[in-house]
Amino acid sequence: MDPVRHVRALVATWRGRFILAFVVVQLLAPLTYYIARRDPHDERYAWRMFSPMRMAQCKVDFSVDGQQVPLYSKFHEAWIEIAQRGRFVVIEEMASKLCADNKGKRVEVSLDCTYVDRKPVHYGGQNMCEHPNL
Amino acid sequence: MAKRTRKRAAKRGGNKTADGNVAAPASQTPEPSKLKVDAPGRGKQRREALRAERNASAAAVDPASPQTPPEEPAFWFGFEVTWAKLLLGRFIFFGLLAVDALLNFAHAPRYGAGDFNVAQLPLFDLLMPTRTSYAVGQLLCAWLFVLAACGAATRLVLPLATVIYGWLYFSSHLDSYQHHYLVWLIVLLSCFVPWNKPSAEAVPATRVRSWALRLILVQLAILYLWAAISKMSPAWVDGRTLGTQIHGSMKALIESTVGIKAASVIVILVELTLAATVWNKRTWSIAAPLGLALHIGIVATNLEIGLFAWLMVGLYIFIVPDRIWLSMVEPLEPVRGYVGVVRDWFGGAIGWIVLFASMGLGLVVALFARFDYAPTVALVLIAVLIGAAIVDRKHVGRLAGANLLAFVVWIIVDRSSSSAADYYRFWGGSSRRLGDVKTSEYAYRKMTEVAPDDGQGHFQLGKLLLARDASEQGLAELRRAQQLEPLKSRAYTAEAKWLSTHGKKDEAVMKAREATIIDPNDSEARSLLDSLGGS
Repeated sequence: MDPVRHVRALVATWRGRFILAFVVVQLLAPLTYYIARRDPHDERYAWRMFSPMRMAQCKVDFSVDGQQVPLYSKFHEAWIEIAQRGRFVVIEEMASKLCADNKGKRVEVSLDCTYVDRKPVHYGGQNMCEHPNL
Repeated sequence: MAKRTRKRAAKRGGNKTADGNVAAPASQTPEPSKLKVDAPGRGKQRREALRAERNASAAAVDPASPQTPPEEPAFWFGFEVTWAKLLLGRFIFFGLLAVDALLNFAHAPRYGAGDFNVAQLPLFDLLMPTRTSYAVGQLLCAWLFVLAACGAATRLVLPLATVIYGWLYFSSHLDSYQHHYLVWLIVLLSCFVPWNKPSAEAVPATRVRSWALRLILVQLAILYLWAAISKMSPAWVDGRTLGTQIHGSMKALIESTVGIKAASVIVILVELTLAATVWNKRTWSIAAPLGLALHIGIVATNLEIGLFAWLMVGLYIFIVPDRIWLSMVEPLEPVRGYVGVVRDWFGGAIGWIVLFASMGLGLVVALFARFDYAPTVALVLIAVLIGAAIVDRKHVGRLAGANLLAFVVWIIVDRSSSSAADYYRFWGGSSRRLGDVKTSEYAYRKMTEVAPDDGQGHFQLGKLLLARDASEQGLAELRRAQQLEPLKSRAYTAEAKWLSTHGKKDEAVMKAREATIIDPNDSEARSLLDSLGGS
């Protein structure tokens, strides 16, 4: 069966439409990592198991009005481990919580990441309460 | 072309199941005794008339005309595997998932800790799992997966498992393992696989059609393709990445044979080959040994990915050619007869009696499980089981057996792993670090009940008790820890510190000295001994 006829036949039934949608989504979803994801550390849905990026190690520090935050007394260590892999969305939410707990104060993040395949990168430095994205 | 496509008319002749999958029975014609003889109702008459009209108009269409209804692609809708393979795959894969769920139970305390969560999908932000809901969810999943493994009420339990597993996964970044995402996709697709015996007459070689099973294999191919693409970078190809990811005997084996650099390239080639072969029956003889070698190799690397490598090995049951499974089940042919006889005992009213007995026994077994909330969840599951029995009335006996097996699996995993104790260990530790001392003490106390021979629970509980001046109990716990961990100095050091701050210098010196003898590198004990002038 030629591909056009194959697709036409699939579109004709609910099962076929489901198959088509599933395959298209699964084929294209990983592509978003390469072309549309702002956080290179976030490899979810991209099937990048054991990738070089998985080996990234980041040092993350939060400060409130210049005072370093003792992270382990604020967040479960599992969240800190994810932050140490550089996951932006988690770090931003952690900062957001600190902003909520310290209204009117300046919350800063310092994220220093080292990689297997690229030069170290520093993220952060701004007041996360005003500019919440890294 | 005609061979490769299955026409609608031909499909109607098969034994169509609720999801549109077709079993290819030995005989296409039902026995006369099994035919329904009642006069059809008006609704049925109307449907039959409509169908006849549709068939007549379809027959009138010129087959060459573009108006012809498209044939269903045989690639999807003609995909068949033997019943033997489906049964084995079902039992092993869902059985592994049940065990995996119980092993994940230990991670429950991280959920909701510090009242912080980030959902993977914003939609789930309002559905933040807590320690309790995560723990209950994993117990439910384990039970549901055992029922699925046994083929009991799969049309009910698999959608339920999909919803619970999906909620646990997508509602928090805490579980961002890509393999859990894969598991969820497969469980979702499993809802459409006809897991049950296609007919009473089915034999191991009976072929079962399933587009969903083909889709699972295509999903695996997509995974391998993208996994290979992600590795096409200098940092992987030159061996740097693999070299830092694997350790131990596997690393030594690779270094002494092909070398890390060559192994890195081989991994990409294997993944590309699997992407091209894993979904195609004709190339299963290539995919099966390659894929099994890859995943067993990953098992040997001791990477901390839980049971995932084993789950992948389990999935290869569907990829190993059918003839291999058939040759393995052939000697078991006489056993099938006995199974059939035993199954018949549990039909009708007896089945319901056995089901209620199974509920009671299951509850008793759950009382002995050390998982938090186990008895409560078991009570909830009785209601689910009754619902499942109403839905799947023909297989009440099977439900009874599966229910009992599910609770036995709880007990086996509980007693053969540290999952239940780890749950309390992690809960106590995170509560202590987050400043909730009362909860921490409760968790460590529970840990000493669940795992009385584990020194850590006694040690941490002892320290917490001493910190709130429950000195007698605290010292008793520390001394229990010293008995259980004779090669660890920490309980001795903790006692020495407490003694030194409570005016018992001589006893403190003795304890600190014992600590330094056990572990000469214990800097805390050494400095305490120095400060007490006992060195």
